[in-house]
Amino acid sequence: MKTHKRKKAASIVLASLLSISLTACGSGGTDSGTSASSDNKNAKVTLELAISKSSQDSAFIQQDVLDEFEKQTNITVNLQLIPAEQTTTVLQTKLAVDETPDIIQYNLASAITDLNLERNFEILDNEPWASRIVNKDVLSSGGHLYSFHVSQDTGMQGVVYNKQIFEELGLSIPTNYEQFLAICEKIKASGITPVFMPYKDAWAANIWPAAAFADFTAKNDPTFFDDLNSNKRKWSDIPEFKTFLEQQYEVYTKGYTNTDVLSDSYDMAVGKFLNKEVAMMFMGDWLIEGVAEQDPSMELGVFPIPSSENASLGASPLGGQLFIPKKSKHLEEAKKFLDFIASKEIAQKIVDSKGYVSNLNDVTTPELPAYKQDIVDHYITPKKTVLTTDAYMLVDRSELYRLLQDQFAGGMTPEEVLKSWDEKFSQLMQDKGISGF
Amino acid sequence: MKRAKNLYSYYMVFPALLIYSIFFVVPAIAAFYYSFTDWRLDRIDLKFVGWANFEKIFSDKTLILALKNTAIFAIVTVIGKNLIGLLLAVALNMRLKTKNLLRAIFYSPSILSILVISILFTPMLRTEGTINSLLEAVGLHSLSQAWLTNPSIVIWTIAIVSIWQSAGFQMAIYLAGLQSISQEYYEAAKIDGASSWKSFFKITLPLLLPAININLMLTLIGGLKVFSEVYVMTGGGPGNASQVVGTIILRSFGEGNWGLGTAVNTLLFVVVTIIAIPLLIFMRRKEVTE
Repeated sequence: MKTHKRKKAASIVLASLLSISLTACGSGGTDSGTSASSDNKNAKVTLELAISKSSQDSAFIQQDVLDEFEKQTNITVNLQLIPAEQTTTVLQTKLAVDETPDIIQYNLASAITDLNLERNFEILDNEPWASRIVNKDVLSSGGHLYSFHVSQDTGMQGVVYNKQIFEELGLSIPTNYEQFLAICEKIKASGITPVFMPYKDAWAANIWPAAAFADFTAKNDPTFFDDLNSNKRKWSDIPEFKTFLEQQYEVYTKGYTNTDVLSDSYDMAVGKFLNKEVAMMFMGDWLIEGVAEQDPSMELGVFPIPSSENASLGASPLGGQLFIPKKSKHLEEAKKFLDFIASKEIAQKIVDSKGYVSNLNDVTTPELPAYKQDIVDHYITPKKTVLTTDAYMLVDRSELYRLLQDQFAGGMTPEEVLKSWDEKFSQLMQDKGISGF
Repeated sequence: MKRAKNLYSYYMVFPALLIYSIFFVVPAIAAFYYSFTDWRLDRIDLKFVGWANFEKIFSDKTLILALKNTAIFAIVTVIGKNLIGLLLAVALNMRLKTKNLLRAIFYSPSILSILVISILFTPMLRTEGTINSLLEAVGLHSLSQAWLTNPSIVIWTIAIVSIWQSAGFQMAIYLAGLQSISQEYYEAAKIDGASSWKSFFKITLPLLLPAININLMLTLIGGLKVFSEVYVMTGGGPGNASQVVGTIILRSFGEGNWGLGTAVNTLLFVVVTIIAIPLLIFMRRKEVTE
């Protein structure tokens, strides 16, 4: 009796194991089927383009563009829309297990830290469109082109300000810190909060230092970030960094900001500007777009963080560029897609419809919104922009943001902020296996 | 024959056991293994690093702070939720006209998700928020605080919100316990001339021990695993002032340090087990049956 039952149990186990292995075989079979068909030149290729759901208005995935591409090349593009809050994790996992999409839209600076840019993505230096790119910096890392976009305008960071308030009070754009404080004083006297600081969102506290540090090192210490990333020097080695952090804090302690800086969050900013409660904010020009959407009559502009004399405008390395993973199953076709987008006709169409600053020398920039035209005339054309520190940091930056928040909570001096970030930075670099740490 | 019958029951359990093992036991063991490796998102080659992750945990100031905050949160909420829950239960176990309505009112916060509660409380706890306005309206200016942005009180604030949300749930369990106590004991005590304090300590409390037991376990484990309220209200901030173990795990994963994240998680598991199991055994022994 006992053995009989045992046999029965064994057969159940066997049967279930068999069914598992059979399903495994089945899926293996289909896999080899697809790879065989991709070798066949007559078969239709389908490209997988992975993109965050939050970027679903992206210029690259407009249906008419994809349709046109399919008509010309007989290649279909299949979109994978990834939920915004999971984009990074999903892409990290896909790359780690070699289940890579053929094209990914992501932003360059985060790709360096999140997605291991050098290991995972193709260098695009020799692509046919590469020679036509006007501003290579916004698409490059470590001296190589890794990404593609038809626009060179990736978001500018500085002091977003209300032009109307400036005009009414007869103020002009400050070119140094003392002038900036004087302007704050005048705005405060008129009953308007000079600066809105939404530092419940810790990242917002980084706009000032990210541009100020980058501007200082670009002008005075161009090798600093190389030294930093090879552990030859530290954040706390530059005394001016401390000064810049003190400056931002001083704007708060002098009473030029909202009182509750650690309770107010970025999502309140548009409303504050619409109500004319505030005159300025250390932020990116995406804020201006947000305000204009609500009320096109608002005239906002952006000027450089006035940390030192005649600072440059911070150029955010963020934005949505296209990348091709090295392990893409259809490398050639994926590159064809970039060629197609970069073609004069298609790129012109995209640039026109989105109001982009063109990054291809044979594609003309359309008439831009006033603030954007301002940025182009005063900063981009005279090359008065500087890539913010985000572009140089190889590790997750959120701990730095928290430390900056700590400064405003009264828990840390600027010196301690930089010291603590040094410690965390070198630990993160060490974890990442960067030599020298 | 009896033996065969026993075996037969095991066949029935087998599918459930298999699923449970695949989806729970195996990942748990895997997590235990991964907590001893340098598992990272940007490196596929796993290396066994022994205790390195745990050493890192105890040398990281923020992690120590997080452990401290978790301990404060757990202790404060265990005491608060149970004390208030018990008081409410005893009060609402009396013959009050409005007791059903009051029970519903006190229970209602625990129906809502803690996420919703946290989102609702965040603006109320601002420096210029409702709570401070209320305090000022009744003349308690001195008590108004930067509830969520003052590093030295933020974890207490979050604990109080958590108590407010959950005390009604503890009340419900205590009420159930109270109602299972037979009135005869109280009548007998009354005849013997016992004061109501005495009958509370000599009858109610001992017979309520199973309910107290459950509540202590639930609140303690919940307190040690705190995440949602901190994540929503402060995200661990300002700075790192309100980091708890749960948010540190999230931070480690966000930094790409999956091995370290799993190690913190394993540590949390061990700490919860070490505290919970002896407590459970101790409390079980104290229980009496009617």
